[in-house]
Amino acid sequence: MTQHLSEADVRGIAEYTRIGLTAEEVVAMTADLNAIIDSLAPITEFDLDGVEPTFHPIGDLSNVMRDDTVRGSFAQAVALENAPKQENGSFLIPSILGEGGDR
Amino acid sequence: MKTLEEVFETWEAVIGLEIHAELTTLETKMFCGCKLEFGAAPNTHTCPVCLGLPGALPVPNRAAIESIVLAGLATNCDIEKHSMFYRKNYMYPDMAKNFQTTQGPIAFCMRGHLDLDVDGRGAAERYRLDALAPGERDGNITRTEDGYVAHVGITRIHMEEDAGKMVHLGGGEGRIAGATQSLVDYNRAGTPLIELVTEPDLRTPEEARLFMQKLRQIYLAIGISDCSMEEGSLRCDGNVSLRRRGTTAFGTKTELKNMNSFKNLHDGLAYEICRQAEVLEEGGVIYQETRHWDPSAKRTIVMRVKETADDYRLFPEPDLAPYDLTDEFIEGVRAKLPELPDQKAARYAADFGLTAYDARHLVDHRTTADFFDECMALAVAEKGGSKFAKPLANLIINDVTAWLNAHEDTALADTPLTAARALALVKLIASEAISSKQGKEVFATMMDEDAEPAAIVEARGMKQVSDAGAIEAVVDEVIAANPDEVARYREGNTKVIGFFVGQCMKAMRGQGNPKIINELLAKKLG
Amino acid sequence: MATPFGSMSVRELQAGLAAKEFSAAEVARGTFERIEAADGVVHSFLETTEKLALDAASRIDGAIAEGRLAEMGPLAGVPVGYKDNLNLTGTHTTCASNMLRDYVSPYTATCVERTLRAGALPIGKLNMDEFAFGGSTETSAFGPTRNPWDTERVPGGSSGGSAAAVAAGLVPVSLGSDTGGSIRQPGSFCGLVGVKPTYGVVSRYGVVAFGSSLDQVGPFARSVEDAALTLNALAGRDELDCTSQPSDVDFTANLAEGVRGMRIGIVPAFLEAAGLAPEVKAKAQEAALALEKMGAELVEVELPHAQAAMSAYYVLGPCEAFSNLARFDSVRYGYCDPGHKDLGSQYEASRARGFGPEARRRIMLGSYLLSAGVYDRYYYPAQQVRTLITRDYAAAYESVDCILTPVAPRTAFKLGEIGDPTEMYLGDMFTISINIAGNGGMSVPVGLGADTGLPVGVQLIAPPFKDANMFRAAAALETVYGPAPVAPDYADGKVGA
Repeated sequence: MTQHLSEADVRGIAEYTRIGLTAEEVVAMTADLNAIIDSLAPITEFDLDGVEPTFHPIGDLSNVMRDDTVRGSFAQAVALENAPKQENGSFLIPSILGEGGDR
Repeated sequence: MKTLEEVFETWEAVIGLEIHAELTTLETKMFCGCKLEFGAAPNTHTCPVCLGLPGALPVPNRAAIESIVLAGLATNCDIEKHSMFYRKNYMYPDMAKNFQTTQGPIAFCMRGHLDLDVDGRGAAERYRLDALAPGERDGNITRTEDGYVAHVGITRIHMEEDAGKMVHLGGGEGRIAGATQSLVDYNRAGTPLIELVTEPDLRTPEEARLFMQKLRQIYLAIGISDCSMEEGSLRCDGNVSLRRRGTTAFGTKTELKNMNSFKNLHDGLAYEICRQAEVLEEGGVIYQETRHWDPSAKRTIVMRVKETADDYRLFPEPDLAPYDLTDEFIEGVRAKLPELPDQKAARYAADFGLTAYDARHLVDHRTTADFFDECMALAVAEKGGSKFAKPLANLIINDVTAWLNAHEDTALADTPLTAARALALVKLIASEAISSKQGKEVFATMMDEDAEPAAIVEARGMKQVSDAGAIEAVVDEVIAANPDEVARYREGNTKVIGFFVGQCMKAMRGQGNPKIINELLAKKLG
Repeated sequence: MATPFGSMSVRELQAGLAAKEFSAAEVARGTFERIEAADGVVHSFLETTEKLALDAASRIDGAIAEGRLAEMGPLAGVPVGYKDNLNLTGTHTTCASNMLRDYVSPYTATCVERTLRAGALPIGKLNMDEFAFGGSTETSAFGPTRNPWDTERVPGGSSGGSAAAVAAGLVPVSLGSDTGGSIRQPGSFCGLVGVKPTYGVVSRYGVVAFGSSLDQVGPFARSVEDAALTLNALAGRDELDCTSQPSDVDFTANLAEGVRGMRIGIVPAFLEAAGLAPEVKAKAQEAALALEKMGAELVEVELPHAQAAMSAYYVLGPCEAFSNLARFDSVRYGYCDPGHKDLGSQYEASRARGFGPEARRRIMLGSYLLSAGVYDRYYYPAQQVRTLITRDYAAAYESVDCILTPVAPRTAFKLGEIGDPTEMYLGDMFTISINIAGNGGMSVPVGLGADTGLPVGVQLIAPPFKDANMFRAAAALETVYGPAPVAPDYADGKVGA
């Protein structure tokens, strides 16, 4: 198996995706991801020179737009009904910068 | 710290702007049918799409796409027919989906430009402008009689969506630093936003200010945004770096935020240029960082150091079909393009013989330009009416603008001033029925009392005396009463003429025709 | 014992309602009673929606009383279950994840709305692999679903609950979603008709996204006709989904036509694929010959780039999933780990504990594959490979109307039998290229495997927006193999072994 990602790389990805992993989980995740990335090799084995990518499997469909007309919104209580924490009609979250202050 | 002028002796500033404008004149958000409304109760203009609920999908607002194409056409951009939306992925609580839907390498509008007329005091910021002769070019500028024209490239204008708003609790003055909690309101989330990015073609804070001002005029003229810098519907970030005069490599840039007025934009950039010069001259290094302009402390402070380039994992948004704009769509938008400020100014110069300066100041504000158009439509309806263009322009640029500046909350349309009254006033002066000085009094009275100029003149007995015989008697009296000044005049101090004119006017209670007074004085003193 | 309503066909139910043999309210109540009695071990339902169903039933019964049953829609009085990634106002939409354990939908998905407008009785929400990541329904945070044909075995996945509920005769019709085979593979494991329509036929609005360019919702049913009737209700342009397209096809129209004159493509490389179980291969060959016998022409076609579909899928799916799942951040909804003083640690703990291992793997994989420098090595080539695969299919469709392949390489495996994620991924080897290209595909039951005695399906694949082609061939196969039976231990009202 090729070492595509080191444990440090995986810790970096975990930080970026905001998934807190334990040290053991990092080890396991590193092995899993390396195995999966190995299995992606066929993608690199074709001659793709000059082949246009297909980002949208929708044929010639383009320019899909709507009119600028109001459709209506949720009542405030509905907007907030699944909020883990709320205050004064808003979603409440803890300190963004944390105790360390500026990041 | 050195002054800007001193810094520019050694350093050249390289400035680029990123200007965000919310499309506030639309009814609904970018990707959903929630109403756009500033200042509503929190989270009352939200739906599955702009709250980023699981399963919700975006659908673009056609009017927003029309608006950005209009903006591109108005700023000399190429309209790219084929473009896509992308997802810019980063987690931040004001962004409901934790990605921003924006455009990729190809935006709807690419490769535009604006030409800035820089003159007066602002032109003096440009290093050694005097070395150029009128008409001579240097880089992207061309010297003019009273300043220069700067050709500023626009890299692109792309379509994206705004984030929600946060209120930070527990920190000082609602700031994020030190806050223990924050409140998030997604009413603004998904507001259609266009971002214009300039080339690094700007060299002085004044050019940056003028660019912003000109862009604002254009956006207001095409009606895509209310462009309120105070409410944040028009926002500007500046990228600034220094390099030694004569070198071409770019220095490390800092990104400047919170320049929420034209003055702050100018002063923030000026400070940052001087700060960077000081750091560099002391042998320090400039870090690539985001800085915040604090107008009360008059300095910039670090917000965030960028240790590595941000990696936004940009990829084409699979939920949105690509764009393949048709000629029909683009031409349909072009047909909605109104006369732009530059075109208007050029027309004023060509059709009415106004100076470039007057024309430009008339078009500074859409309201004054519209009012001038209205006055001229009335004037031109009469034979020879276009001769009133210059006095009408003066009235608007000086008296009307001053009045509006003094009455910030009043719109021109809500004042007693009408095009008919402005024209009547200008005609009274032109026909020498009243003096221009009296004209100012009539204007002030008209605005206070909501009366017709002719009625004011009548009621106040303000008649200009143009009878040469009557004026001659006064002139003779004044000359006889001031032998010392007469002697000084005759010794060559011709400036004393002003004293004599003033004395004559005083004697005639301001009603004497200044032209005739001047003529008679010159004859009799000479 | 009377036949449970969930074991009837749509036509049987509507005939009974029309003849006033039973009322819609009785259908609803009977369905919930049967779920109560028979779903304990299978565990297909995560939530049942008694009130919604009884309200819908009372509207149907009102219409019947006025002689207006025909006006109530093609699914009037039909109990329908929904995969738990489909939003339905007032119900939990958990995606079988701890992340959304307490989430209550404030809006309804278009596809669900369309079944309701067609008169369906909404019965509840069905178990699945967490966020549809998986092929066995074992990754559900609420415990696995079991295959009614053998409860030691998985029903397949990710739409395993939707398949098991129909196979156990709890409901006649259910909706699932298919990103790489998640309708067709459980369809095959549970011996059902399972349809993944052409991308764009069914609106994705309100379907919790996994791979936005791959996801498509479709029906499970025990007969081709029931599947076609359901798809009729689902299909068509939705102004809330930019990628949805108009559909004016009646999918039931040519079911009786037979296959005479149809050209059916066979992909020899697929039948020789490593890992394909002999009993599955034999069934695919048998089904092909059956079609030939009924007058179809078998044509060998090649899909030279299909071998890269799997790796393209495991690039594109995770990339899109990474971005789609970023919104689960503990701010507006979803699991919020308590007691954190700063947002960063709240994010990290909530996402670590809210997401299961497979979700975490795919999010992190996608994030890596999209990062600077890596994007050009995997993501961009994967989209180019998509072009090649699409061209392969287009070339094949020049000589065939429909393609027949196996669905999954083997029949249902035992719970816990496959632990390695990459081995699990191989289960999608025949289904994935259809999602990559956006074609329609469906699994059709063709009896039991000779070795395992478990259900086997074949996959029929149709050109984009010609889904009617595969329905036509599927209906012909049904004349040979019959409509899918309810799993034996649950047939005739039985509630399991």
